[in-house]
Amino acid sequence: MECLKFEDALKQLEKIVEELESGELELEESIAAFEKGVNLSLHCQQELKKADGKIQKLIKNLEGEFELIELE
Amino acid sequence: MKSFITVTDLNNYINRLLESDLLLADFWIKGELSGFKWYQKSGHMYFTLKDNKSSISCVMFKSRNRNLKFAPEDGMEVLIRGYVSIFAPQGKYQLYVEEIQPYGKGGLYLYLERLKEKLSKAGYFAVENKKPVPQMVNRVGIVTSQDGAALRDILRVLRQRHSSVEIILVNSSVQGINAPAELADGLLLLNEHAYVDVIIIGRGGGSFEDLMAFNSEEVVKAIYNSRIPVISAVGHEVDYSLSDLAADLRAATPTQAAQLAVPDLISLRKDIIKYQDQLVKAMNRKISYDKELLDRIMMNKVWQEPDYMVKNRQEILLNLEKTMHKNMAMVLKEKSSQFSVLLKALDNLSPIKIIQRGYAVLRKNNQVIRNVDEVARGELLQITVQNGDIEVEVKAKEKIIRWNA
Repeated sequence: MECLKFEDALKQLEKIVEELESGELELEESIAAFEKGVNLSLHCQQELKKADGKIQKLIKNLEGEFELIELE
Repeated sequence: MKSFITVTDLNNYINRLLESDLLLADFWIKGELSGFKWYQKSGHMYFTLKDNKSSISCVMFKSRNRNLKFAPEDGMEVLIRGYVSIFAPQGKYQLYVEEIQPYGKGGLYLYLERLKEKLSKAGYFAVENKKPVPQMVNRVGIVTSQDGAALRDILRVLRQRHSSVEIILVNSSVQGINAPAELADGLLLLNEHAYVDVIIIGRGGGSFEDLMAFNSEEVVKAIYNSRIPVISAVGHEVDYSLSDLAADLRAATPTQAAQLAVPDLISLRKDIIKYQDQLVKAMNRKISYDKELLDRIMMNKVWQEPDYMVKNRQEILLNLEKTMHKNMAMVLKEKSSQFSVLLKALDNLSPIKIIQRGYAVLRKNNQVIRNVDEVARGELLQITVQNGDIEVEVKAKEKIIRWNA
C-alpha cells in the first residue's frame, strides 16, 4: 500500500466501490473489499497531503554546481 | 628581377576593390542556410548560404547575432543583410552578416513543414512514445522565463488547484538566439537534478518569430528525450508548435497547462470522500440484504415451531395406523364371511347331515365299509342311522359295477 501510486489506488478504489455496489459479492468478499476500500481511500488522502508547497528555482551556481534556491 | 607582391599584398588589394564597391558594401541577399555552426566560445556563427546553383561562406559575429530574434537552422530560407570581404588567412571572400530574417512567413512555414516531416519520420511525434501524465502530481517542474506572464499564470493556477504543490523553476529565455539551447538545457536539468512528476515548458503569446524557439529541433529532441512527462504550452490557443507535437500533452495556454499538470485537490478530496461514503453505504446495503435473507429463512415454520416436523410425522403415523386398522377390519370381515360360507358348505357335507337325509354308515369293527369285498357272509356288521346303531348279520352279498365309481 505504501508504494502504491495514487492513480492506481484511486482506480482500485473505484473498482471496489463498483463491485460492492453491484451486490454480487459474497458476504466474506464484501467485508474484505470494504476493508481494502477503506485503506485505499485513506492512502489516497495521505497522498494528497504529501507536498509542502515550496517554490524553488534550480540554478547552476558559480562553482558550476546545481542548487535549489527558495523563490518565495 | 621581376617585381612581385606578397600574398598579403594581393589579398589587401582585392579587399580594397571589394570594399570600394558600393553594391558589395551593404546589400540584402536571399538564400538557404546550411552547415550552420555556432561556436559557443567565440559566440560567432558560421554557415553557408546557398541556392540551387552556388554557395557562399558566411560569418556572423557575436556582436551582430546577439539580437537575433530566432535560432537559424539548416534549411531555413533567409534574407541576409551584409557585406563582402576577404578572409585573408584563407584567401577566400565571404559574406559578413549584419542581420538575418526568415524569408517571409512562407519561407519559415516551408522550413517548419520540412522539419516537421523530418522529425515526424524519425518518430519524435509518435503517439505510442508518449508518456502518461500522472493524475496525482505533487511536484511540478517549469521551464520558462522567470519574468514572463506565462509563469505568473502557471503559478497562480497551480496553487489554486493544489495549494501545497512543490514547484521547481528553471529560468530560460523563451525567444531569441539562446532560447532553444536554454529551453533544452532546462529540460535536461530537471530530468537530472530534480524530482518532479511532470514538467511544463512554454511561454505566453507572441509573434510567429517569437515562438520559433519552440519549433527548434533542439527543443523537440529535448522534450522527446525527457523521461519525465512534458506538457507544452506555447502562446495562445491558435498557436501550434513542434514542441506541442513532441510533448506528452499539449496545453492550449500556460493556464491550461497548469490545470492539466495538477489535480484539483478540492474535487479530488470530494471524490475520495464520496467513494468512502459509497463504500459504507454499499456495505450496509449488503449487510441488511443478507439480514433480510436470513430473516426470511428464519420465518419458515421449521424454525418457528421446531416440533412441527415431529408433529407432522406423528400425524402421518397416526393416519397410517388408522388406515391400517380399517383395512385390517375390512380384510377380517371379508375373511369371516368367506369362512361362514365354507362352514355351511362343510356342514352340508357332514355325515350327520347325510345320515339325516336317510343314508346309513356301515362299519365292521369300527372300520367303515366301502367295498363289498370287505365283508363275508355270516359276519356281524354295525349300521349307524340318524338316531342309533343296529347290529346286522351278512346274509348274502352281490358286487355291482358302477360306471361312475
